[in-house]
Amino acid sequence: MNIYIMFSLVLYAIGIYCLVTKRNMIRLLLGIEILINAANFNFIAFSRNISGFIDLLPLSVVTISIGIAASVTAVAIVILVYAYRHYGTLDVRELRRLRG
Amino acid sequence: MIAPIIDLLLFFAITTPILGWLCEKIKRPYLCGIYTTIGLAIALWQVLLMKFPIKISQFSIDQLSGFMAITFLMLGIFASIFSMKYLERDTGIPLFYTLLILMIIGMIGAVFASDFFTFFVFWEMMCISSYTLVAFRKEKWEPIEASFKYLIMSSAGSASILFGMSLIYGMCGTLSFTEISRILTEPNIWVYIASIFVFIGLGVKSAIFPLHTWLPDAHSAAPSPISAMLSGVVVETGVYAICRIGFSIFSCIKWLEVIAILSIFTMFIGNLTPLLQTDIKRLLAYSTIAHIGYMLAGISTGTILGLTGALMHIFNHAIMKGLAFLCSGVILYQLETRDMREMLGVGRRMPITTTTLFISLFALSGMPPLNGFISELTIILASIEVNMIWLGICIIINSIISAAYYLRILKAFLQPITLENIKKVKEGPIIMLIPLVSLAILIIVFGIWPDGLMNYAKSAAYELLRGVM
Repeated sequence: MNIYIMFSLVLYAIGIYCLVTKRNMIRLLLGIEILINAANFNFIAFSRNISGFIDLLPLSVVTISIGIAASVTAVAIVILVYAYRHYGTLDVRELRRLRG
Repeated sequence: MIAPIIDLLLFFAITTPILGWLCEKIKRPYLCGIYTTIGLAIALWQVLLMKFPIKISQFSIDQLSGFMAITFLMLGIFASIFSMKYLERDTGIPLFYTLLILMIIGMIGAVFASDFFTFFVFWEMMCISSYTLVAFRKEKWEPIEASFKYLIMSSAGSASILFGMSLIYGMCGTLSFTEISRILTEPNIWVYIASIFVFIGLGVKSAIFPLHTWLPDAHSAAPSPISAMLSGVVVETGVYAICRIGFSIFSCIKWLEVIAILSIFTMFIGNLTPLLQTDIKRLLAYSTIAHIGYMLAGISTGTILGLTGALMHIFNHAIMKGLAFLCSGVILYQLETRDMREMLGVGRRMPITTTTLFISLFALSGMPPLNGFISELTIILASIEVNMIWLGICIIINSIISAAYYLRILKAFLQPITLENIKKVKEGPIIMLIPLVSLAILIIVFGIWPDGLMNYAKSAAYELLRGVM
């Protein structure tokens, strides 16, 4: 069991690293997807906590959280398209007009 | 059948675009607003008639949930009345009302939920519709930038809640709040790790100190009725979630002290940053951060009196900040600027708006006959009761600092008129003034007769703490 938790924590750390260092807006979205997938992986790993029996609750949680992640991404891509129209670039360093 | 109120609101959310299509054919888009207002009013009536506690499928509705739902629906009604006139120059109005109802459904579902999974689904529903509503005026650059910032921070926070949820599931094998609180009695390292993940996620949404940076951008860039909703109730849903999850799941670990320290930082950041701000909506958004600090101070005392104060402040802050943002919306609608340097003397041309704005600002700074005073006083008394007098002193210092920037608005509004465009400004349309005046009356009423609200908040706080004590 521990190796699964290790793996999902590493995946979470990769997601945070991606959010902190990357400058492209699409890569930021991928970072969020990685974070959500780390949590989903954890749920699936824990679903067979009790040997010889698979709990169905985490499977339904994961199914719905994949759906929610898809809708967040859809909204984000719409905003991203408008941002590209306004700024002509996908670099977040250009989105610095709001200050103070 | 999910739960009676949520079903009703979902029905209105689904039928609004169909009605909106017909209304746009006959060039009367404000009919959508009337339809939405009727839906929200029926829902409010149903909540007021409810007998607590109720348990339906995945929801358990107690006094605290009912209290929060009343706040959401009340501010939602005023925001939708206000939007009828405010949005007449925009397109896509039916979708605006649909998203507004969906946001309210998300908040109500999140406060009614009895397990973590239901809570998360409705939480995300609230978040997704609020990202879209912030970016509603997509032809300007500012809402798009603010919305993208908000989306990235808030969805990273949601992912963090999901991760914490998975760890809690791994420890308990269930996601129901009552079951988890029965199983998690011994603190171990994984409970601490899970609590860090969950509180980071909730902290992003409720703008606690190191995670507050999205709030001034998102709340000032959104259309004014949505700013009122975001500042008045969406942020408070995060505070509610901290109360509920903290007191029911993480009651075995010491999280109250951490919240007390963070609340002080939150208040000071929220009050010191706007001192030189000239953008009126941005100033009000920063003051929201400060008020979140007061609420967290009330929660961190961990007693019934402190929680009563915090819950009362949630309700009062919804009214006060809702009114302040709606007033700035009227000025924005008439004058088309948010800069206070271009508003000199506007108070002489718009007396009703200015009077109601002053009432809300006095209430926000905690002036005695108005409602903000009562709840801040209750929080200060609670902090003295548990020997955390430094917390009470911090709140008093912050109230004084906050009066400084509220008085700057007053000064700008009452100066003699010098600018040419101010001379032509008229008072806002009557449909916008109705919500303003009724909210101002509510502020005065709850300031002079706070007993009913206080008793309700006290029984809600008792409900919350019953599991702990």
